[in-house]
Amino acid sequence: MQRVVFQPATYQGMQQGINQIVAAVRPTLGPRARLVAIDRIVANKDTGPELLGNGGTIARRIIQLPNRDGDMGAMFLRGMLCELQDQVGDGTATAAVLFQMVFDQGVRHSVSGGNAMRLRNYLERGMCIILEELNGMTLRPKQGKEELAKIAEAICYDPPLSKMLGEIFDIIGEYGRLEVRAGSSRGLEREYVTGSYWESSLLSRYMFTDQARQRAELENVAILISDLDLQDPDDLVFLLTLAKQADIQSLVIMARNVSDRAIGMLLANQKDSQFRVVAVKAPGATVDDASAALGDVSVLAGGRPLVAAAGDTLRRVKLEDLGHARQAWADLSYFGIVAGKGNPRALRAHLATLRAAHRNAEDPDVRRRLQQRLGRLMGGSAILSVGGATETEIAVRQKLAEHTADALRGVVREGLLPGGGAALLACRPAMQRLLDGTIDEDERAAYRILSRALEEPLRTIVTNAGYDAADVMAEIRQVGASGSPNPSAFYGFDVISGQVVDMVRAGILDVASVQKAAVRSAIASAALALTIDVLVHHKKPKLDLTPQ
Amino acid sequence: MSKMENQTEEISPMQDIVFSLATSPNFALDGICFAARQSGLYRSKDGGRTWHSACDQFNSGPLPTTAVIVSPAFETDKSVFAGVAGSMLRSLDGGQTWQVAMLGSPPPQVSTLVISPDFIDDGLLWVGTLEDGVFCSQDRGCRWAAWNFGLLDLNILCMAASPDLARDETLFVGTESGIFRSTNGGRAWREIDLDPELAPVLSMAVSPDYAKDGVLFAGTESCGLMRSSDRGGTWQRVGAETITEAVNAILLSREFHAKPDVLVLLSDTVLISHDGGQSWSRLHSSGWSEYGATCVAAPDGLSPDATLLVGFMGGHIARINER
Repeated sequence: MQRVVFQPATYQGMQQGINQIVAAVRPTLGPRARLVAIDRIVANKDTGPELLGNGGTIARRIIQLPNRDGDMGAMFLRGMLCELQDQVGDGTATAAVLFQMVFDQGVRHSVSGGNAMRLRNYLERGMCIILEELNGMTLRPKQGKEELAKIAEAICYDPPLSKMLGEIFDIIGEYGRLEVRAGSSRGLEREYVTGSYWESSLLSRYMFTDQARQRAELENVAILISDLDLQDPDDLVFLLTLAKQADIQSLVIMARNVSDRAIGMLLANQKDSQFRVVAVKAPGATVDDASAALGDVSVLAGGRPLVAAAGDTLRRVKLEDLGHARQAWADLSYFGIVAGKGNPRALRAHLATLRAAHRNAEDPDVRRRLQQRLGRLMGGSAILSVGGATETEIAVRQKLAEHTADALRGVVREGLLPGGGAALLACRPAMQRLLDGTIDEDERAAYRILSRALEEPLRTIVTNAGYDAADVMAEIRQVGASGSPNPSAFYGFDVISGQVVDMVRAGILDVASVQKAAVRSAIASAALALTIDVLVHHKKPKLDLTPQ
Repeated sequence: MSKMENQTEEISPMQDIVFSLATSPNFALDGICFAARQSGLYRSKDGGRTWHSACDQFNSGPLPTTAVIVSPAFETDKSVFAGVAGSMLRSLDGGQTWQVAMLGSPPPQVSTLVISPDFIDDGLLWVGTLEDGVFCSQDRGCRWAAWNFGLLDLNILCMAASPDLARDETLFVGTESGIFRSTNGGRAWREIDLDPELAPVLSMAVSPDYAKDGVLFAGTESCGLMRSSDRGGTWQRVGAETITEAVNAILLSREFHAKPDVLVLLSDTVLISHDGGQSWSRLHSSGWSEYGATCVAAPDGLSPDATLLVGFMGGHIARINER
C-alpha cells in the first residue's frame, strides 16, 4: 500500500520536518553558538553523547523523523546541508535559516493564491542578483599567518586552533596538504613533512634501516614505479642486475604485491653489500587512485610507470624507466619521497592540469581526491594533531579543525565578505530595487521573501548571543541611515562587544565561497521545495530477522 | 680604458672556477673580500690585489667552495659564510677560523647564499642548492633546515632578497624551470608567472626601492635580461638587441630610484645601463673571451670610478678600477 499526500498536507508536513532540522542547527550559528548533544547509535557506557557544533554534521546525524510527511521535508533539507558541507565545509547553519525563511514565506504566498512555479523562477533570478552583489563586496585577504589566523578565528572561535591554522595555511597555501589527526597530548601540535608521501607500506619488516623508528630510509635512490604482482624471484634478477650494472646503491621497488620468496631474494641480495633495496606496496585503494598515484610518483621522480594492465613486465624494464629521488622512506603505513628528480617543468605542467581539473570538478569526492593529489605534489605536507582531555573533546575539536581548514582554503581561493550576516543584509537594497521595478505579484513576492530572508542569519546570530534581534536590527538601520561617517561601511552587530560596528573595520569577516554556496544552495533548494505538491510514501517492508 | 690587475695565484688554472665573490661593506677602507673557488676559499685584504687561502684549518687539501657571503654588519660581527659540498662554513672572526654546519644528508651542493639585510638583529640566512632546494638558518648559520614548501623545482641557481625583508619577508629564487617567490621569509614558495621557455634563470636582482617600485631583474641563460615592475607579476625583456647570451650576474645601483644604473655580467663582457635597462653600453671586455666571466662584485657601487671585481673560469679574478 502506498500513501499519497496532497496539499495543504504536503506543505504542512514538509514544514514540520524542516522546522525540526532547522531548530537543531540554528543554535550553532555565530560566535556565541551552542552545542548539540546527539545520542550515539551504538551505546557505549564509556563515552557520552556526541557533542556537535557544526550544522552539517548535526543534520547528518538526524536520519529519520517519526512523522513521515515531516521526514520528507527534513530529509530534503538534510540532503542540501550534507551536500553543502561536502562542498565547502561550512555555512550549513546560514543555509538552514535562509532555507527555512524562504520556504515559510513561499508557502504563505502559495497558499494565498500565488503560483509556486513562477515564484521559483523569480526566487532564482533574485538569487543571481544576490550572488552578483556578494561578488562586488568580496575582499581579497592580506597574506600572512596573522591575517589567516584572524580569519580562522572568525570561523571557529577557537584562538589557539586559529593561530595554528593561520601558520599552517601561510605555509601550505591553497592546495597544500593538511592531515588533521587525533593527538595524544592535551593541546594542539603541528608537524611539517618535507616531500610527498602516500598511504602505502613497506612489504617486509626486515627492510627497516632504522629498527628503532620502524622505518626504512634510503638516499640517492632509484625507484621502480609499478603496480606489478611480483611472484617469481627470477623476475627480479634482471632488474637487480640492471641496477648493479648502473652502480645504483639504493633501490625502491613499488609493486602491488611481492611474494615472500621474492622478498627473500631481495634481502639475500643486500646482505654483505652496500646495495640497499626495499619493496613497498603501490599506493591507491582503487584502480583509479592507484593509476593516479603511479602517474604522480613518475612525474615527481621521473621514470615511467610499469603497469600490469598494459602488459609491462620486469623483464622489459630499462634503466630510463626508473625514477630517482634524493631520499625515499617507508614505514608500515606510508611511503614518501623527498626531492624527486623528475622534470620540474613537467611537474609544473602536471600541477596546472590538476588545478584546472579541480576548479572544474563538481563532484565533491572528485574535488577531494584532486585536492589530495595536488597537496602531495606541492613539496610538503602539514600534520595537525588535535589533543584534549577526553575522546569526546578531541573528536569535537578535530571536526572543528577540519571544517575550519576547508573554509580557510575557500578564503585563499575566493576571498572574504563582511561577516556576521552583514554582507547578506547589504544585498537588501538590490532586492528593493527589483521590487520597485515590477508590478507582477509573484515577482514582487519573491523579492520581498528574499529581502526578509537576507536578515535571518544576522537575526539568528544576535538571538543566539542573547540579544533582542528586533532592537539590534533597528539600531543597525538607524546607524546605516543617519550616523554613518562611511557610506561604504557594512554595518552589523558585534555580539562580543555588543555594539553596532563596521564589520570590515572590526575584522569580522566570513568566507566568500562559503557564504555564496550557502545562499545558492538555500535559495535554489527552497524554491524547488516550494514546487513539491504531492508526497508519495511507500509501504515499508516488515523486517523479519527470523532465520528461514 | 681599463686594466686587469693581479690575476691571482693559480693553483690549477685550467680546472679552477671562481663561483662567487663577496666584499666587506667597508671595502673602501678595509679592502677585505672573499672568493669562493673550486680550489678553495680565498681572502684578500688589499681590495683584491693579492689573494690567500682563507681556510687552511681543514687539512684535507683544497676544499671546493661554491658560494660566499659577508654579513652586512661585517665591521662589528666579522661574520662570513661559505658553502661547500654538504655543509656551510661560518667564521665569526673575519675568515681567520671556521666552524662547519652540516646541511643534511645526502650532501647538498650549495649554489647560492642570501643573508638578511637585518642579519645583526634576525640572524637569518638562506642557502640555495642544486638538487635539494632552499635551506634556512635562523640562528646565524649554526643549524640549517630545508624550507621547500611549494618549491616545485629544487635546482636553485640564484636567490635574491627584498631590501625590506624585515617587513615584507620577500625572497626570490631562480631555478631551472622559472622563478619562485616567498612572502613569508622562505617558509613557503609560490610560482611566479614567467614563461617556462625563458628559464633557466641564472641571476636575479631586486631594486633597493622594491617596497615602492616593485622592480625586479632576472637574467636567463638563453633569453637575455627580463624586467618586472610589478613584483614579478609581468615581465618584459630589456636590452634584447645587446644582451643575447647568458646573464651570469646583475647588479643595481644603491640609488636605483634616482639613478637607475644596471650592470650585467655576460661571459665575455660587462654591460651597463643608466636608464633602468632600456639602453646599454659595453663597460669592459678586452681579452675576456678566453676566460669566461662567472661572477662580479661592485663593493663601491656602480659609479664610473668605482672598483669592480670579476671572477672567471680558470680561477682568475680581475680588479677593474678605471673605466
